[in-house]
Amino acid sequence: MSRTILIIKNDIKRRLKSPLSTLLFLIIPFAMTALIGLIFDPGAGGETKLPPIKVLLVDLDQNIASKFFIGAFDQKQLKDMFQATTVSENEGEKLMKKGKASAMIIIPERFSLDLADQKSVRLVVVKNPSEEFLPAVVEEFADTMAVGFSALAQIFADEIKIIKLVGNTSLEKISFAELTPFLEMSRVKIMAIKKFLSPLRIGLKTSVMAKPGQVSKAKGFNIFAYILPGMLIMFLLFIVEASMREIQSERADGKIRRMMFSPLTTHELMLARIFSGWLLGLLVCSLAMAMGALVFGIDWGDYFWLFILVAVTCFWSAAFFGMLNAFFRNKNQAGALASPIILVSAAFGGSMLPLEQIPSSMRWLAGFTVNNWFITGCREIGAGAIPLVSYGVLLVSGLLFGLVAVMALQRRLTT
Amino acid sequence: MQPPILEIKNLSKAYDHGKNPALVNFSLGLNKGEVLGLLGPNGAGKTTLISILSGTLRDFSGSVVFKGMDLFADRQLRNQIGIVPQEMAFYEELGAMENLMFWGGLYSIPEKELKKRAQDLLALVELSSRAKEPIKKFSGGMKRRLNVAIGLIHQPELLLLDEPTVGIDVQAKVSILDIIRQVGLQGTTVVFTTHQLAEVEQTCSRIAIMDKGIILAQGTLNELIRIVGEKDIVIVSGEFSADRFSDAIKPLIHNDIEILSITDNEAHLAFANSEGIPGMMQHLFQQHVSLADLKIKSPNLEAVFLKLTGRSLRD
Repeated sequence: MSRTILIIKNDIKRRLKSPLSTLLFLIIPFAMTALIGLIFDPGAGGETKLPPIKVLLVDLDQNIASKFFIGAFDQKQLKDMFQATTVSENEGEKLMKKGKASAMIIIPERFSLDLADQKSVRLVVVKNPSEEFLPAVVEEFADTMAVGFSALAQIFADEIKIIKLVGNTSLEKISFAELTPFLEMSRVKIMAIKKFLSPLRIGLKTSVMAKPGQVSKAKGFNIFAYILPGMLIMFLLFIVEASMREIQSERADGKIRRMMFSPLTTHELMLARIFSGWLLGLLVCSLAMAMGALVFGIDWGDYFWLFILVAVTCFWSAAFFGMLNAFFRNKNQAGALASPIILVSAAFGGSMLPLEQIPSSMRWLAGFTVNNWFITGCREIGAGAIPLVSYGVLLVSGLLFGLVAVMALQRRLTT
Repeated sequence: MQPPILEIKNLSKAYDHGKNPALVNFSLGLNKGEVLGLLGPNGAGKTTLISILSGTLRDFSGSVVFKGMDLFADRQLRNQIGIVPQEMAFYEELGAMENLMFWGGLYSIPEKELKKRAQDLLALVELSSRAKEPIKKFSGGMKRRLNVAIGLIHQPELLLLDEPTVGIDVQAKVSILDIIRQVGLQGTTVVFTTHQLAEVEQTCSRIAIMDKGIILAQGTLNELIRIVGEKDIVIVSGEFSADRFSDAIKPLIHNDIEILSITDNEAHLAFANSEGIPGMMQHLFQQHVSLADLKIKSPNLEAVFLKLTGRSLRD
């Protein structure tokens, strides 16, 4: 073990003496995230055309306000943005579990009546956990609608009561067509007193499908948080691979032959190489995430669980590339094969394209990539969940790769 | 008489599923304190031999006994051997002292003792003044000297040097050879592979000539020279083909003249009596062999090598 630690210490010392390559690997994903983020961030003036967002609408109220709310999705501008489907609650849950929509908005029972009685009501937004950007748009929209409805409920509280009394009937029987001219006349009034609306009559409850009972923290959408994990994992793979390729350099320049005359065993050597690669990846990834929080204002979620995710991901990467380098015959072969492996993994794992943009027939491939497990893990932690599946998959496969790496190196060095 | 410190018996190794033999029944004995020069051209099997001794090459037949025990039966036995690979096997980002401490650390030498040894070795290889400087700033010769020092950090009983003077200038070569001589004088047994004849002539107490995986001859320099006898070596050069020269010289071949090697444009001949040289020249002119130069040399290792292998070390 002391020899393993000696090699790790030696590697750290060497990296500190020539930190340029490590710094480059740290800066590139960060710069690319900034560039892509600025291009697609609407605040930066870029024009972004999104595909229609699939939204499921569950109307438990079946009354005037809920119909008004659902009717809004038929407006031209909203139609371009949303592909809304009205479904029952059960049907909606089934479709959400199958990932058929980005979000589901549930309008609760007595929504219209409570609104008329000036009581607080809640719209429920259920977000698809495998997506981040599109559900956030739905959430923002529902939030805006809540503000609008609150305004209506407060400004026309008296009028609604009068309508109820005059009509001597329930709100269900008042048609939307009857109400529209009345609303139009009051538009000016709304605009004038908009800023004095407080408190809002309609609240918004948001949840992620994976944890139906859990309410997520109300967070604004941050495009950098959406891009950085994908970039980070891709460059993490490159940096760890470069570190693990030292096995090839050390073979080529006689260092391993020299080591084999010492008491150092191939097991100790591979263990040292894996830990060294793991440590380097952990350092770079932690720094990049800290910079992401400081510069881009990314809220990563619980830092403890995030650290565990980064640690298992770096371990997986080091073990996997340790194994490949133990199999590769030389540095050239390692260089020629490792990069395509990383790029294919990035393409199918969600580093280059959001997973939801990949054709569904090919999405299953993501399960075989570390990129997918890391990105999904980051999102789950961001949403307040613990990515136990990501931890398990990465740790178990990492251990397996590490074991194969040790055996393969033993074989490679004594042929 | 002491038993040999290293005894290699009938070592055979072939690559490409036996099609390409690298060592063929190779046998060699080495006594403690000897400096053996293993002389052979590229592809002679020198590096294969060193790789087998390091344990990085398997699937061979034969035995290697070190200090009376099977070298491969006990891993610790190999720890008493030092290696200086042909490549610069150290970390260039670090300093000379840091490298020595690292490589010595692999042998679990106590830190205080290790530091003392590292300082002594840096003095031996004349790098004390540049101990902390990153090695990437060193010249080729300085790197080679450090490569040797690292091989000695754990005070091995046997030091294997695989062509330690490749690619360096004359001054650096002299320095390395001097270090090897000093190490030998201090009692370390040394095996030194090279294809530079002058290096083994100057440095080694015993020389083994190997080619195509076998030892052709071994002994001291004088013992080897006796193989070609007390003959003058005549090197004839000109514009001729090997076949043309062979045909022309054939009638003169008798006990006094011996062909060592003939290639296109150059021939090496051994003359027991130098008085025969003018006659040979006249004969070649009569045969219309175009000659440009003629050199006469005293018997040396090169002549021995030519006689044994039929080719120059540079081939």
